Amino acid sequence: MTTPRVGIIGIGQSAFKARRDDASYPDLVREAVNAAMADAGLDLDAVEAVVYSLSPDAMVGIGNAERLGVDAVGARGKRFLRINTGGATGISSVAAAYYHVAAGACDVVMTAGADKVGECGDSQTVLNKIWDPTYERPLPLGTITMLAMSGIRYQDLYGMTEEDMARVVVKNRRHAALNPNAHLRKEVTVDEVMASRYISWPVKLMDCCPQSSGGGAMILASERFIKANRLDAVWITGVGHCSETYYLGDRMGRGQAADHADAHALKQSFLRAYRMAGITDPERQVDVAELYAPFSNTEYHSIEAAGLAAIGTSVPMVNEGRFSLGGEIPVNPSGGTLCTNAIAVTAMIRVAEIALQVSGRAGGHQVRGAKCGIASGNGGDHQFFGTMVLEA
Amino acid sequence: MPLNRETAIIGAAIRLPQALDSASLEELLYDLTRAALADAGLAIEEIDGIVVGSNDQFDGRAIAVMAASGSVGGVDRDILSTPSASDHAFVMGVLRIASGQYETQLVLSWSPTEADSLSEAQRLGADPYFHRHLPLDELNAAALQASRLAAADPGIAAQAQALAAHNRAAGAKAHGLAPASPLAPPWPLTAPMLARPVTGLVALVLASEDFVAARGLTGVAWVQGMGWATEAGFLGDRDLTGAEALRAAAGRAYAEAGIGDPAGAFDAVELSGVTPYQEVLAARVLGLGGLVASGAASVNPSGGVTAQNPVFCTGLMRIAEIANQIRGRAGRHQLPGVKRGLAHAASGFAGMYQGVLVLGNEQREGSRA
Repeated sequence: MTTPRVGIIGIGQSAFKARRDDASYPDLVREAVNAAMADAGLDLDAVEAVVYSLSPDAMVGIGNAERLGVDAVGARGKRFLRINTGGATGISSVAAAYYHVAAGACDVVMTAGADKVGECGDSQTVLNKIWDPTYERPLPLGTITMLAMSGIRYQDLYGMTEEDMARVVVKNRRHAALNPNAHLRKEVTVDEVMASRYISWPVKLMDCCPQSSGGGAMILASERFIKANRLDAVWITGVGHCSETYYLGDRMGRGQAADHADAHALKQSFLRAYRMAGITDPERQVDVAELYAPFSNTEYHSIEAAGLAAIGTSVPMVNEGRFSLGGEIPVNPSGGTLCTNAIAVTAMIRVAEIALQVSGRAGGHQVRGAKCGIASGNGGDHQFFGTMVLEA
Repeated sequence: MPLNRETAIIGAAIRLPQALDSASLEELLYDLTRAALADAGLAIEEIDGIVVGSNDQFDGRAIAVMAASGSVGGVDRDILSTPSASDHAFVMGVLRIASGQYETQLVLSWSPTEADSLSEAQRLGADPYFHRHLPLDELNAAALQASRLAAADPGIAAQAQALAAHNRAAGAKAHGLAPASPLAPPWPLTAPMLARPVTGLVALVLASEDFVAARGLTGVAWVQGMGWATEAGFLGDRDLTGAEALRAAAGRAYAEAGIGDPAGAFDAVELSGVTPYQEVLAARVLGLGGLVASGAASVNPSGGVTAQNPVFCTGLMRIAEIANQIRGRAGRHQLPGVKRGLAHAASGFAGMYQGVLVLGNEQREGSRA
């Protein structure tokens, strides 16, 4: 059968900050919902179903916190469910909303959520609880130490230096300075990044994403609804998901299922999305990318997994500006996850930013002439990967 | 509106009750997955995607799907998690197939009992300012709802008692009876209405109509109607006798299945409720009040939650039970000649989330077949 076309007709996002003492958790969700509904020019009655985007409950300190968000998304009496794939939750939720429409169940679906990572105490303490309680939690593993190991391996295999990592930070901060919704908007230099303290070698403080608070929401609709109501839309032409092993040890040493330096399942996920979208040469066909990279080193293997560079070759390309605003394929023109990370919606914002780019509505960080863009999200212990292709 | 493609349940596995002292959760899920695949006659390589209903608080892990994903075949495969409810995993599985992007899905859920206190785990789901201090857990919320129902209809207590007795009798023939809850039941509930929570696991294999036709599969259970809905998060914002979400879910499922008079439409019915009060309410809203009041054998042939209560996965368990009844694979509690059945799922405080599945041995009228 032919998959029906699904479009994005509304986008809402907060101006992300370290704290939002002025807004409760449901308030943050509602803030994004109101913005998305206004962007779509619809009222909540038009929304037939809601996919709630929320990663670990512990981050907001409430079990099944989606229940407290039901009224914030206007879902009473409506079809409602929640998705959680860790950091990939946001893009998985957009995909779940996509399936509602593509299945023919609904014409208009909302996905929405929020996070208060900046107010959770310490996200790494929460994220330590994703691992095996007997062997891995006491190490202690966190997402920083996990991906620092990936960085060390990438350095060893492909020659990346800490200065190369710093140049990713410099690029993304420069981009974020143009994005009013980004959390970290102050430009930095390579020297400043190099002078920041080590968190987990080779990852330094400025190589890390912030803990952000804010919300995100998107409205998806069927082609039939979009045409009948003469709406502007960005089309979701590719959707993919793929997962890696849970145990980090299975990505290291002899008999490894995949190399921890790379993002094997992210590559597989992109291949699925590309196949669906008919993209055979992403280096030529993709105009802009928002790739979920919470630490500077992970942007390199994400670029390679997306097929924008061969494995192990992206470092000089970043240094030469190929992936900067003004370059051939800007990566993370919003500043990306490195500058804003409200985990429950971070991967949704990747999709939202690409939708804004290919519709020419990205403002100061617009990529000129962008018509085809890609987005990705990573979750779990670099385990769950979601990808999308969006076209004008 | 009808889905773009029909979905069938082609395999199922139920582990209820499941001892946890002899195997890890990963091992149990591996066994469950193999059993469901064997029942469907498929290899894991033939599964396009996986949807898991898992709950972080009960598992004691953040992002509980992570640890499970390897043993259910998630590596190098597409896997999603719906922590809101186990039956929501089924909904996503059906939607993904209907979208045309997938031919098969593995849908599963589990509910462990290793937490020191399930009540405390549930209490974390109450809002931190008002309800958590009451303290509010699912049993106390259900008791509040039962008292509200009894105030509105004094006759409901006798119906709830009778349904509990019916469920226990049916459950004794099906998966056996779990021990009674060690806790003193909150008023107006009574001990025979409540079973001690048990560990349970359940998996279903779904396939598209195209896959079923290409493989020439028979003896499958078709999804004829599917509805799901939610109520407000705060109990104070709800009429606990109203079941508005269930009305919405049932209306959608019945419309899709073309059911105008549900009273005589089903050969088997599996209801979900923390208490039989909730099940009586659900039966009335579903148009099955008379059926339940008559003590018909077609109601809860598995014994339902009164007999075995695998807390988080009860909804998906009900769907698997009805699928097995239609496929003639229910075992000791198989009913004769089941052609169409209804599975009802309810979860969250006082049945906040509601799901209704109409399953049958034939595709819907008007479908592509």
